[in-house]
Amino acid sequence: MTSVYVDIENISRNFSGRTVLHNINGQASPGECLVLTGRNGAGKSTLLKIVAGLLRPDAGMIRFRRGERELDVEERRRCIGMVSPEVVWYKNLSGRENLRFVARLRGRKDAARELNTYLSRVGLGTDSDRRVGEYSTGMVQRLRFAALLLLQAPVWLLDEPSANLDLVGKAMVEGLVDGSPAGPHHFNGDQ
Amino acid sequence: MPDKSSIWDKPLWTVLTKDLTCEFRSRQALGSLGMFALITLACVSMSLGGAVLEPQLAAALLWVVLFFAAMAGLARSFVQEQETGTLFTLRLYASAPAVFFGKLMFNLVLLMGLTAMILPLFVILLNVDVLLPEVLLLTVLLGNLGIGTVSTLTAAMLTRAQGKGALFTVLTFPVLLPQFLSAVSVTTQALNGAFTGYRELLFMAGYDGLMLAAAMLLFDILWQD
Repeated sequence: MTSVYVDIENISRNFSGRTVLHNINGQASPGECLVLTGRNGAGKSTLLKIVAGLLRPDAGMIRFRRGERELDVEERRRCIGMVSPEVVWYKNLSGRENLRFVARLRGRKDAARELNTYLSRVGLGTDSDRRVGEYSTGMVQRLRFAALLLLQAPVWLLDEPSANLDLVGKAMVEGLVDGSPAGPHHFNGDQ
Repeated sequence: MPDKSSIWDKPLWTVLTKDLTCEFRSRQALGSLGMFALITLACVSMSLGGAVLEPQLAAALLWVVLFFAAMAGLARSFVQEQETGTLFTLRLYASAPAVFFGKLMFNLVLLMGLTAMILPLFVILLNVDVLLPEVLLLTVLLGNLGIGTVSTLTAAMLTRAQGKGALFTVLTFPVLLPQFLSAVSVTTQALNGAFTGYRELLFMAGYDGLMLAAAMLLFDILWQD
């Protein structure tokens, strides 16, 4: 796992004239867990989407770097693993097919052999060949974590990570975050 | 590290196989395209009552059917991703070239499948003679490449717009008009056997190349935003 640093520099973002983020600064180093808290609509998910490169900020910049070398767009995309309610799976594909799809998009053909391991680890071992359209919301969330583990991204962006999970699922998330490989984690929770 | 052992593991083929699998299981786009084409051809055939069409009229009719059938189904490639919420997932995991070429290949597969269904029906139902089938085949290939490229880009542009269906056709048709006119002209010659349309074929190939280059550049910007 290569050490990746994330620098958040003066990020601002408006939606229809309403300022959601104003001059946000921060830094995440390998192994560090950065927790974002705030009321609903405070802009936590927006900031995570900006860090993921899925939303352009109105001002400011996000830098991903390995040491002093700044990563380009493609390298940066490959560094990110994300759990978010907005990560929606293909309902006509099975859980296993969805995971294989994202692994191949990230160039991880070898990950096919590890699918069973990660599906079992998140408690979907016996449901992996069912179509996602038949999954409960908790199972969909577990599949997001299976993708996160499978891709072995050094930067984790977790937006409402324990949403829709039962007590066992919440314990699993805590275990994953506590025992995750070295890398910054951006953890988002409502408060 | 990216694995380079098999071409089928390249991201664009991954997007294509995903789309084909989803389409095979839902049959949404194929159903729209096929039904539109079948109903149109059947209506025209019954209206003509066995009368023989002039080559120019038959050629125009073939391309009108192909174009509007394509308009009925090709926008689905991106609209469905947006409507089901999977566009976010695709943006998170896939690069712009992989998505563009994957979707383009999917649209071309649909178009070629549609053409393979329409052409024999067109010949049988409308009682048309094709004197130069190889020229017709080449024209259809070049025409479909143009329709597929422009449709893929327009569909991506319209993911956030309201009234996607109407806008899709309105935006796509003017861009495709030069290609459409050349295709009708060469198809007419393929039907009547008096082929002199080398310049039109060359124009169609050049148009496809230009559209492909422009779409690659524009799609990257669209995907980042």
